[in-house]
Amino acid sequence: MKKYILSIDTSCDETAAAITLDTKVIASKVWSQASLHAKFGGVYPSLAKRKHEERIDFVINQTLKKAKLEIKDISAIAVTVGPGLAPALEVGIQKAKELSLAFKKPLFAVNHVEAHLLSPLIGKSFEEIKQHFPALGLVVSGGNTQLIFAKEPGKYKIIAETIDDALGEALDKGARALGLGYPGGPVLEKIAEEFKVNKNLKNPLPLPFVGQEKLRKFSYSGLKTALVRLIEKIKKEKGILKKEDIISLAYFYQERAFNHIERMVLFILKNQKEKPKSLLVGGGVIANNNLRKKLRKIAKSNNLKLIFPPHKKYCGDNAAMIGVALAINLKERSAKDVNPQKIDRIPRLKLTESKIY
Amino acid sequence: MKVTKINKAKISQICRILKNGGLVIMPTETVYGAFVDATNPKAVEKLNQYKKRPFGKPYSVAVSDQKMAERYVFLNETAKNLYQNFLPGPLTVISKSKGKVAKGVESETGTLGIRIPDYKLVIDVIKKYGKPLTATSANQSYKKTPYKVSDILENISEKQKGLIDIIIDAGTLPPNKPSTVIDTTGDDALVLRRGDVEIKDKKEFLSKSEKETEELAKEIWSKFKKFEGQRAIIFALEGKMGAGKTIFTKGLAKTLGVKEEIVSPTYDLLIEYQTQEKVSLVHIDTWRMMEPSEIEEVKLKDKISDHSVIAIEWADKVEEIIRKYNEEAIVIWVKIEYTNKENQRKIFWGML
Repeated sequence: MKKYILSIDTSCDETAAAITLDTKVIASKVWSQASLHAKFGGVYPSLAKRKHEERIDFVINQTLKKAKLEIKDISAIAVTVGPGLAPALEVGIQKAKELSLAFKKPLFAVNHVEAHLLSPLIGKSFEEIKQHFPALGLVVSGGNTQLIFAKEPGKYKIIAETIDDALGEALDKGARALGLGYPGGPVLEKIAEEFKVNKNLKNPLPLPFVGQEKLRKFSYSGLKTALVRLIEKIKKEKGILKKEDIISLAYFYQERAFNHIERMVLFILKNQKEKPKSLLVGGGVIANNNLRKKLRKIAKSNNLKLIFPPHKKYCGDNAAMIGVALAINLKERSAKDVNPQKIDRIPRLKLTESKIY
Repeated sequence: MKVTKINKAKISQICRILKNGGLVIMPTETVYGAFVDATNPKAVEKLNQYKKRPFGKPYSVAVSDQKMAERYVFLNETAKNLYQNFLPGPLTVISKSKGKVAKGVESETGTLGIRIPDYKLVIDVIKKYGKPLTATSANQSYKKTPYKVSDILENISEKQKGLIDIIIDAGTLPPNKPSTVIDTTGDDALVLRRGDVEIKDKKEFLSKSEKETEELAKEIWSKFKKFEGQRAIIFALEGKMGAGKTIFTKGLAKTLGVKEEIVSPTYDLLIEYQTQEKVSLVHIDTWRMMEPSEIEEVKLKDKISDHSVIAIEWADKVEEIIRKYNEEAIVIWVKIEYTNKENQRKIFWGML
């Protein structure tokens, strides 16, 4: 019998469900509150919770329908328990618990960041996956900016993380400061495309923590402050931000934000004792082509296999990566199921707390 | 269903079809779109059937210019910035709706996404028609993104085909991405109070570095430490983006002996830290909140009854709520301002 996993993720704004078989995605649905014209500049807890509640059954049913399966055909249920917004997480967990008890299916708890980290492995065979470890992992999203050393699936060490804003958050705030709205990442990328690269034009924004890579910390608050101050200065001089100012600042800001990642990855590669075989990258910001280009360059010069999620739809939050993360954990370290009566949300779950399995 | 080559397309004919509640498929600078009169409920219902759209999912609309947009939505500063500088183009800009489109077009929360396509035929049609059209991709929901007519026809049923009145065929479109959706309504929440929050016994401090800001947090804490564990102590932090609200909180955390790194709570909304003292440090950020009452959703009340030390960033957005707890908790208002010097900040503080 084929061991299908039904996975559920409601960690932030997206209501997501998927059916996976080992690392293969059979069906994956994401109902995004962000493309929904909801009030998404502020995904506030009560709205997020209510929207998840309204949509979760629909999303799960659509997923099953697409996979041409019924719940009885599923062999396990996987659900995100953290990190994420507490009231939002609760909805997915509640639903997973209900299904687990009603249909007597084993229930597994999954770490959302681990799922992003392993999302590049979606669709790959277990033999191939083995060959990609030890790996250096980069997870960049609205709430996370982490560089991880993964000796093998399940054995992680956080090498660098942010001491203030996450990368996605820094992009959101930069876009807001430039009067470009939300979400920041895609908007900045779109606007920055209009910039005509000119070697004589110096980037007026500072490179975060330049020369201090050995601290192994990401920091975006200084860059953000510099942007705000520069905008104020231009406004004082010209009265308004002109179109060309917005375009060049969008470009320069994005460039600096990614330079910071680039420099840290290079530093780690140079100083890491155990050489990784691959660079696994996941999270919403990885959809950005500019960042991808920079990472490709690094991978090439370091002779490293660079692996992105197989499709951009697996960069942002989704449930397919939850099912696949469980499959990899089942295979590599015989993950244990949890008591559905006891499962609970862990909003600040750390990647290194693996006791959820 | 009729298929017409783009060079044979007649604007008056397309407008007639739209007027009768018809469904028109036309190319745009991104993908093929399905257009109906966005103000005609029957036409929108027809589009729902065609798209097999799940409940509650809104449509963007296409207009010909900013003036037409302003008849249907309220444009704030961010939206005007985008319209003036970046439209027409592949952006969908979301604003607060005036409620003049058919049911199901705007979102449940009363917002409407608007686009000005950078495609002559579509703009000419809208100009002549004088009303906004729905601007959704011409595929069934969750099906292939349509760059050519066969992408559409090969993925729908005969019944769905019967709902299409006319298709304008421009061959295979260049592989441009669908439009980028931008929400501008978050900025409405940032309309902060005018004038200063009144604080008693106001003190002023000139900080020359992040370190001095952290030191100030320590110093203020030492004055209120005696209330620790007996009443909640709220640090209401006000200041522009990047002013140093998180830096202040980091100082507070250091003096309380928090071992973890204090990171921005923008995404989590609330982060609670264990301290070396009797109470925990609760760090709240209202940046993503749309209405002041949302701070109650993160259970502020419970944290106050726990007698926690609470730092609230963007406190001016929730001043009315904080005031409610002024008796129960000790509220220290801290306002951080930029000065002309790069690392220098003027910090005002006092009791609410």
